[in-house]
Amino acid sequence: MQIMKNSADKAVPATQPGSGKQGPVRFEAIIPLAIVLGLITLYFTLFFDMHLRRGIEYGATLVNGAEVNIGKLDTSLWDASVAVGDIAMTDPGQPARNRVQIGAVNFRMLWDALLRGKVVIDEASITDVQIDTPRSSPGRVLPVKKSGDGEGYGDKVLAQVKEEFSGNVLGDLAAIASGADPKEQLATLGADLKSSTQIAGMQKTLDEKNQQWQSRLAALPKGEEFSALQYRLANVKLDNLQDVTQIQASLLELDSIRNDFDAKSRSVRETGAALSGDLAASRASFADLDKIVKEDVRSLQARMHLPSLDARTLSRALFGLDVLGKIQQVRGYMDQARSYIPAKSEQENAVPVHVRKKGHDYVFGQPHSYPPFWLRKALISSRLQGGTSDLSGEILDVSTDQSLVGRPMVATIKGDFPQQGISGIKAELVINHLSSVPVERLVMEVGRYAAAGRALASSPSVELGFSKAEGSAKFVAQLRGDNVDVRMTNRFTQVTFETRAQSDVVREMINASVAGLDAVNLDAHVTGTWSDLDWQLSTNLADALERGMRRYLQDKMDEARARIEALVNGKIDEQRKRLYARQGEMESALKSGLAGRQAQIDKLRSGLDAARNKLDERKRALLGAQQQKLKQGSDKLLDNLRKRF
Amino acid sequence: MTLLLKQLFALIKLLNSDTGTNQIAAGFSCGLILGFAPMLSLQALLVFICIFLFRIQIGAALVSAFFFAFIAWLFDPVSDVVGSAILETEALRPMFTAMYNMPFVPLTRFYNSIAMGAGVVSVALAPLVFFGSKRLVLAYRAKVVERFKRNLWWKMWTGTELFKWYANYEKFRG
Repeated sequence: MQIMKNSADKAVPATQPGSGKQGPVRFEAIIPLAIVLGLITLYFTLFFDMHLRRGIEYGATLVNGAEVNIGKLDTSLWDASVAVGDIAMTDPGQPARNRVQIGAVNFRMLWDALLRGKVVIDEASITDVQIDTPRSSPGRVLPVKKSGDGEGYGDKVLAQVKEEFSGNVLGDLAAIASGADPKEQLATLGADLKSSTQIAGMQKTLDEKNQQWQSRLAALPKGEEFSALQYRLANVKLDNLQDVTQIQASLLELDSIRNDFDAKSRSVRETGAALSGDLAASRASFADLDKIVKEDVRSLQARMHLPSLDARTLSRALFGLDVLGKIQQVRGYMDQARSYIPAKSEQENAVPVHVRKKGHDYVFGQPHSYPPFWLRKALISSRLQGGTSDLSGEILDVSTDQSLVGRPMVATIKGDFPQQGISGIKAELVINHLSSVPVERLVMEVGRYAAAGRALASSPSVELGFSKAEGSAKFVAQLRGDNVDVRMTNRFTQVTFETRAQSDVVREMINASVAGLDAVNLDAHVTGTWSDLDWQLSTNLADALERGMRRYLQDKMDEARARIEALVNGKIDEQRKRLYARQGEMESALKSGLAGRQAQIDKLRSGLDAARNKLDERKRALLGAQQQKLKQGSDKLLDNLRKRF
Repeated sequence: MTLLLKQLFALIKLLNSDTGTNQIAAGFSCGLILGFAPMLSLQALLVFICIFLFRIQIGAALVSAFFFAFIAWLFDPVSDVVGSAILETEALRPMFTAMYNMPFVPLTRFYNSIAMGAGVVSVALAPLVFFGSKRLVLAYRAKVVERFKRNLWWKMWTGTELFKWYANYEKFRG
């Protein structure tokens, strides 16, 4: 064990025999510590920037949904500055192009704030901003996340709206115009009508109910039992009663009959009330049947792709997805803003608490102190040679705690992208989370942009789009708490339409509909709450298409609708008649079963009441006579006594 | 890696020797604080500096840091509750506000409920772990090592020429 002891002592020189007692400080560790510090310095000098750049690229790619590249990144410890250059964000829709390309982003943090664990940037500069630029190689696009159970109710509502707007209305109308025969489709439809199933179910329920009621009626007191009570009542002595004792005996018998009657008649009365309620419910379910029939008609229309030929439906089909896309973007940005810039707590003087991946962060701020993150000002300027970009703007007070900063975040931008044919961009974004109700407002205008080649409807049977057009747009979104108010106005001028269709009739029909239309307006207004949005879309293109297509299609569509209604009614008519007849039979049988007993009850009740009244009257008369007699006797007695004394 | 392995072997040797009990116990205590603290925080850096500067058994500190980091992860929900309760104490709010706006102190991430809860628990348990591990090391030496020394096979091994040669080698090597 001496060996073990020696070897262990060697690991700790403080206890090594003969080397002298050493103090608690490990002075000999200075050299290894210096080496470690040197290695750390070397890492930060040679590799840190590269690793940080990769990390930012990875995070930004996740946020962007497609590859983000950063050409260079330089950090300086002494200046606390960061310079990022050549940022290219792939457009997920067009991987060969960049959504945004930024020449350089430079900013410097305050050491005073960094030492307090906060990031405060006095002024940042964003230069050389371009949009829609070509990439040297296509960027990687991340797979779209599938909607999970965790999504909110508002997201589900938007998904439902998307499904509604995604319908191929124009293609369906084209199919009708090109001569699709509804007869063939109708022959295969109608085998699985909901109303037919519903009637079968109702018939079954009706039979079950009938059985239940029959057995319940059989358990009720029989007519003979009420006859026996009638017989007992007839035998109660009501006439020639000479004294109160006889009356009392009759009354007792009457009470006994009354008690028996109440017990038996109660169950009949209760059963009658329950039966009336049940029959009323049955009749109400018949009213629901009509709704189901209408649903069947609508469902068959949808399966036959028989759309409504109205401007509202056409407006939604032409521009609904565009508007929905904007609304979804607004919601996404709103969620992020509210997550990173929480609104002020409703409780006065409450410490703001931010939910983090691990635990909760408490912000013990005080007036004039730093929030965890604060970008005071960022200047955007972009004047590239060759006129590819001319942009200017500023972003003020991006902070994670607006109540500490005391100001809302405001971002303004204006400029042109001549190479992309976009000019007159003006945008202002205000994120005001100073109060307990968060408010976001975005106003964005684009004076002119090229809309040539834009598809409005695309299906195998028909395609409609602009072959030439210039657009201008205004977008105003105001979000206050859960309330949404979004207005979108688009004006397309110098419009030339491009129509492709398999059928000449369809092409002719659409061309005739849009002939003479050289400007298209779209007005969209979306209001309400995220769980209940009201979509108002109107466009003169839909009006023109409705007018034009109605001339060609109205007769065919009316005929198809009439056929569908006839099909549904034909399928269920016999069943429905049988059901109604069965219901009538059941009602009359059950009601007549109860009616006989009810008549006996009514008769017995009136007999009991009359007998009771008669006995009470006789009792009162006898008592009056006795009282009179007693009074006379007492008067006489008093006279005798008076005479005696 | 070599340094780490060397420290681990040193820990095993030290455990089997008669000395260095306080160093091992201090290593375990520091490992507890290190394991419970956020990886990138001021307190973790301070504990690291202490481990390097003072004669604290580095192997013990690192091994226990790994072990206690796992325990801390399991007890995150408890730390969250404890930390939230402390951070929401009205009487301590002026102190926390001052600390939050001081230089350096926010780098401890004390304002995070889990960091605060785990930090308080680790500091409270550190003395217990120090004395507890000290007693355990002594008990280990008295029961396990002594019994091993009395083992026939060990005695036979110490009687071999090879062992004697190695003992001399260790002695001269220092």
